Amino acid sequence: MSYKIPMGPYHPALEEPYKLDLICEGETVIDAQLHIGFNFRGIEHLAETRNYIQVIALMERVCGICSNIHTLTLCNAMEGLTGLTPPPRAQYIRVIMAELERLHSHVLWAGIAAKLMGFKTMFMTCFELREKVMDVLQAISGNRVNYSMNRIGGVNRDITDPQSILRLVEALELEMGRTVIPIFTTSRTARSRCAGIGVLTTEKAVALGVVGPVARASGLPQDLRRAAPYAAYTEMDFDVPVQPAGDVTARLLVRALEIMESCKILRQALSKLPPGEIATEGEKFVFTTGTATARVEAPRGEVMYSVSWKEGSRNPARVHVRTPTFAVMPAIRWMVKGARLADTPLIQASIDPCYSCTDR
Amino acid sequence: MTPLESISEKLGTTEPWIQKGGVHWLTLGATNVRELAKAMNELHARFITITAYQLPKNEGFRLEYHWDLDGQLLGFSFPLAAHSIDSIFDLCEAADWIEREIHEEYSLDFQGREYEPLLLRQGDTLGVNLRDAVAASNTVAVSQEKK
Repeated sequence: MSYKIPMGPYHPALEEPYKLDLICEGETVIDAQLHIGFNFRGIEHLAETRNYIQVIALMERVCGICSNIHTLTLCNAMEGLTGLTPPPRAQYIRVIMAELERLHSHVLWAGIAAKLMGFKTMFMTCFELREKVMDVLQAISGNRVNYSMNRIGGVNRDITDPQSILRLVEALELEMGRTVIPIFTTSRTARSRCAGIGVLTTEKAVALGVVGPVARASGLPQDLRRAAPYAAYTEMDFDVPVQPAGDVTARLLVRALEIMESCKILRQALSKLPPGEIATEGEKFVFTTGTATARVEAPRGEVMYSVSWKEGSRNPARVHVRTPTFAVMPAIRWMVKGARLADTPLIQASIDPCYSCTDR
Repeated sequence: MTPLESISEKLGTTEPWIQKGGVHWLTLGATNVRELAKAMNELHARFITITAYQLPKNEGFRLEYHWDLDGQLLGFSFPLAAHSIDSIFDLCEAADWIEREIHEEYSLDFQGREYEPLLLRQGDTLGVNLRDAVAASNTVAVSQEKK
């Protein structure tokens, strides 16, 4: 006999509100239904009432963790409508911010995953590291969450002393290489808790159109930084980690390896930071009528913005945001099928979901 | 043959691809959205999203479908005279949530499928992003503030 266990919308195992109805037989999950919308704020429509400066501040608030990525994608799209091209130094600073944000997001996720594994010491270690990443972000932007770095045609703040930031990044890399990576890749606790659970096969990943680390952990080598480079990514040398197993361990490994790749990119960007302006100062621009679309590889995967403008208008006519969790979350249903009930919190956390992004 | 040319061949169109605003656009003429979805599946293109536009005055809606093919962003535009279009959910599972979201936000019907609630709760009305609905809700909010 099957029975239904509702998890959420407010539940200790969920970081944000959403609802998972688990259909179980005994301790085994045989199906699941997902319900979102508890954070629905109508941001896309609200954007139509904001001018080109205000809309950046608004879209920065779509997500608390990848706030910089949202403004970067929005600015890329708006630059497509205005014809502005950010100077090289601004493109490098955009890469640096994006990779620091990826580090922040992945380390935060690693902490939450550790907590759900019952590995509290690791949780504390990850959150200590996360604080240090946030210190670096604060040193650059003056802010710890919403960085206000991107603007049309460049960035708002310069990195005046890249060597000091580089030293902070190297210290972070050392600590991650010494603690987080070895523990997540070799610890028996992590392996026994994650191996073989929440499997998303390559075929299902393709069918569902999943993105980011979840896709890469199911054997799909897709990464926009490589496939459709933006900012200064064409000048960066990095690998795209891919794991074929599709289970929670694979997602853990992909993110762990991505932490090291982000550090590699940061070292390159900080040491090669070109001189010059950080924005197209004093250059007048107008929005042309039309739609421009931009895509960026956020920590959780592909973010896409479509921005429509009518020439002479103060506000955008339409802003559509496709966030990575929106593409990945339907996969949870397939990951939890056949899983033990006790594994479902860790499985749903393994996609690093962001409901704030998803609901918008 | 380039990937874009192979799409044109599959869809039987001689229209040129136009690169604009970061997207490769193809005008489809009589091709319907289900034929397009089948062609995209055959080419192993990755579905990304559908963007709904409410056109000015009473001109209806426009839906833009996006796929990724080897890092190239493809776009196909479908004007909607009525409030409905064929669903591609059975051909493209990845389109499930965005069809449900557009159904709830713009009260558009994707024919040939059923909907489970996505963003809205029981008792909420469809069309929360429609211009009229938002204008009406703003009027209510302002009048409540005045009280």
